[in-house]
Amino acid sequence: MASVKELRVRIKSVGNIKQITRAMEMVASTKLRRFQDRAVSSRPYAEEIAGLVENLAGVLGGEVENLPLFNDGAGSKIAVLLVSSDRGLCGAYNSNLFLELERWIKARKEEGLTEADVDFFVYGRKGFQYLSKRSLNVERFLVDPPLEAVSFAQAAATARDLVTAFLSGEYRRVELCFTAFESMVKYVPRVVSFLPIAPPASADAGAGAESDVILEPDAETIFDSLVPRYLETRIYNALLESLTSEYASRRVSMKAATDAATDMQKILKGQYNRLRQEGITKELLDIVGGVEALK
Amino acid sequence: MVKELTLRIITPERVVLDTTAESVRVPATDGSMGIFPRHAGMVAALDAGELIYQEGGRERRLFVAGGFAEVRHDTIRVLTSAGEKPGEIDVERARAAEERARERLKPHRTGLTAEEATIDIARANAALRRAILRLKVHGYAN
Repeated sequence: MASVKELRVRIKSVGNIKQITRAMEMVASTKLRRFQDRAVSSRPYAEEIAGLVENLAGVLGGEVENLPLFNDGAGSKIAVLLVSSDRGLCGAYNSNLFLELERWIKARKEEGLTEADVDFFVYGRKGFQYLSKRSLNVERFLVDPPLEAVSFAQAAATARDLVTAFLSGEYRRVELCFTAFESMVKYVPRVVSFLPIAPPASADAGAGAESDVILEPDAETIFDSLVPRYLETRIYNALLESLTSEYASRRVSMKAATDAATDMQKILKGQYNRLRQEGITKELLDIVGGVEALK
Repeated sequence: MVKELTLRIITPERVVLDTTAESVRVPATDGSMGIFPRHAGMVAALDAGELIYQEGGRERRLFVAGGFAEVRHDTIRVLTSAGEKPGEIDVERARAAEERARERLKPHRTGLTAEEATIDIARANAALRRAILRLKVHGYAN
């Protein structure tokens, strides 16, 4: 059994930890709200762009399928953009992501690929550390500017890099491995296809509906500049969703830590009080005993 | 009743403008293009430039950094990577960008392959255009 003094020290340090985790919880809440707001305000643009791509693909019809970005690349390798976090203390956020990644790698192995056939573009130090430990190929570690300072321009630059890599003929496909934000308590790690672009489902249906629209200067030109914008919004969206998930996860785990610290404080306080009481009782007994002896 | 257009300027970061206007002029790639109510459905590619619209009889302008304009049922949606009202333009930044672009366009730079140089010049030209247009739109702030 610990001494009264030791208990006092422990209670204090648990209290300190609690203060820290509570502060981190609050920081995470604020950042979560900020990233969520940004995700919400980026939605109109993304939806409009996706809608235009669909409409124009309808107008262009079969021609779309001959464009390089809509077909498998010339290479045999697969590039993956992995979006992880820079910092830990965010619960199972990163480990869930890596589990999903491992599942995906296993599935690729069943298709006859090896780990050497996959190149990674990585956001987040945790992801980089993980891939290095697994000795997987890190093609590029995207650190500047850091993920948290994400802007559309930066996401666009990453999208361009991925398109360039895809068109260089080294890769067959490009995939995104990120965490999709579904709700405050549900964030799901996912691997989705980025390139080639899947031809829009409504390619035939859209043709009739929107063919009376004037296209200035013409469908091909608009489509050519529209597709890169579309890809940029997809990357931006993946980054924002991952960040939102990260902070949601961090807030939950910091809240759990604060609650655990509160419980622990209560238990320790109880032990401490009992021990203190025992000490007092013992002392009293000594005094009473001493007085009795003197009589 | 006078028909009005709904004008929405949408960027990846936010909806810059959501208003009604009597008419709108957009900087299409083939030249400035006026849009009035009852315009036919249209999708147009835009260059970096000034977007001018009439709102309550007053002419207002803003800078758009290229993108697309979609006209449908008297609603104009402008999708652009950046849209700034005259008051929002960062003049210092635009001046610095202009300076940088002019520097890059000076002929003395070496160490680039021909292809790199072509891309570089194209980029610098585009940057210069954006900077000058930003400053021009800013001039209408008051």
